Amino acid sequence: MQGAAGATRAEVELAEAGTQSTGPAPTPGAAPAEAGAPSESRRAKTIDVRDVNLFYGDFHAVEGVTVKIEPNKVTALIGSSGCGKTTFLRSLNRMHELTAGARVEGSIELDGQDIYAKGVDPVQVRRLVGMVFQSPNPFPTMSVHENVAAGLNLNGSRIKKDEKDEIVERSLRGAHLWNEVKDRLDKPGSSLSGGQQQRLCIARAIAVEPEVLLMDEPCSALDPVATLAIEDLIGELKSRFTIAIVTHNMQQAARASDITAFFNLEETGSPGRLVEIDDTDTIFTSPKEKATEDYVSGRFG
Amino acid sequence: MAEVARVEYQEELERLEASGLGGLDLVTDALGRTLEAVEHQDVELAQLVIADDDRIDGRYLEVHQSLITLLATQSPVATDLRLISALLHVLKNVERMGDQCVNICKLIPLTGNEPPADEEMVNLILTMGRQTRTLISQSKRAFEDRNVEMARDLVRQDDVVDNLNRECFGLALAIGEDPDRREWAMTMLLAARAIERIGDNAVDIGEQVAFVVTGLFKEFEDASHPNE
Repeated sequence: MQGAAGATRAEVELAEAGTQSTGPAPTPGAAPAEAGAPSESRRAKTIDVRDVNLFYGDFHAVEGVTVKIEPNKVTALIGSSGCGKTTFLRSLNRMHELTAGARVEGSIELDGQDIYAKGVDPVQVRRLVGMVFQSPNPFPTMSVHENVAAGLNLNGSRIKKDEKDEIVERSLRGAHLWNEVKDRLDKPGSSLSGGQQQRLCIARAIAVEPEVLLMDEPCSALDPVATLAIEDLIGELKSRFTIAIVTHNMQQAARASDITAFFNLEETGSPGRLVEIDDTDTIFTSPKEKATEDYVSGRFG
Repeated sequence: MAEVARVEYQEELERLEASGLGGLDLVTDALGRTLEAVEHQDVELAQLVIADDDRIDGRYLEVHQSLITLLATQSPVATDLRLISALLHVLKNVERMGDQCVNICKLIPLTGNEPPADEEMVNLILTMGRQTRTLISQSKRAFEDRNVEMARDLVRQDDVVDNLNRECFGLALAIGEDPDRREWAMTMLLAARAIERIGDNAVDIGEQVAFVVTGLFKEFEDASHPNE
């Protein structure tokens, strides 16, 4: 590693986690100063995946994926059910290993830092690589404010109330939710509509200033209006984060992503593979592989 | 992923392709009758071609609307999207080619009942017209077969038409001093020009074939940069 001045935040944080896994968490107070206003752009980090194979016990779920997930772009992962796209997404922030018997082979690097290196704390990885899930899952007993601040608290930090309020407001603004909830920050998160709850979860995810946002079908439980609101939000968030989104909605991939990766499996029981990755407009106008063409055209499935 | 899906959509798209390309058969017929009217100075046949252009316009409107509906309701992508985009172009070409036949037919009454026709020039125009009919049929077959080679060959075929058109021009220049003959020759030049444009439309269809197959649109020949 270079000197501290040249080191990226990921390097510092993963290195800290590696050398002293029980040590203090990074100073959260530093994050807001670094991050600036939500609308400000910054270069996020690249995920470099090399020859990754994913297993559930004996079952080979994903085979030989090599791909670069580019910073400040939205990469959509598409493919039919069971093709391994969600499993792959979960490997990017070490959530795959939470399933009993699950195993990862190959290398996944965040700006050159191996997130699976010995001694790297998975909790630190998830702090840098956030996840938004299919169904909005705000903590039901917590208020809107507490939900957004939850990530900050979980990171074991002690922040002044003013500072916390500031982060909560900035995150809610960043998630296009502030105007709708600013007068009821103390109400339970579960009192919001589905679309608002999902934006609350996005606010919670971005409150800790991650580098990457992973989204697993974030709109599948939402109506079309809420869906379009989330898609607009995704388009804005990419100026600050690297985004990977799993979606079954091909029009959503076409609308909301810059790059599309198509996963497929030869037959039931065989591992999923990355068939083709390209600019989204290429995938939807002139894909190179026949399997991609058939899938995006809805001709099979 | 073995089961074939969206059968109705696929059938509708195939039907619209057949119907849209069928418009080229209508144009081939219209051009055939146009040539006959030119050859025999047949004003009534010319009127028939003009009236019949409604059928070509109707085909254009009907297929165009159905393609727009397909775009709105079926979200076509990839090859299907390119096919629909190309068909919309082809339809426009069909409509234009029909209009050129009408333009020629409108000229026929202007030349009078017994025009001072120059047989050589009439024959040149008829040869041009027949060659252009071949071009139209070939553009249709190239589209149906997704045959880029056949589509590219349209440029070569169209060069023949262009050369005949230049020959017509030369003949018109040399037609002599008689004002009636000169007027007739000028009118016939307009007809030759209309046929030449129909040939260009057939080449445009060929370019759409290449787009459907390759996903790249490139003019076979760029008139504004002929040497590139």
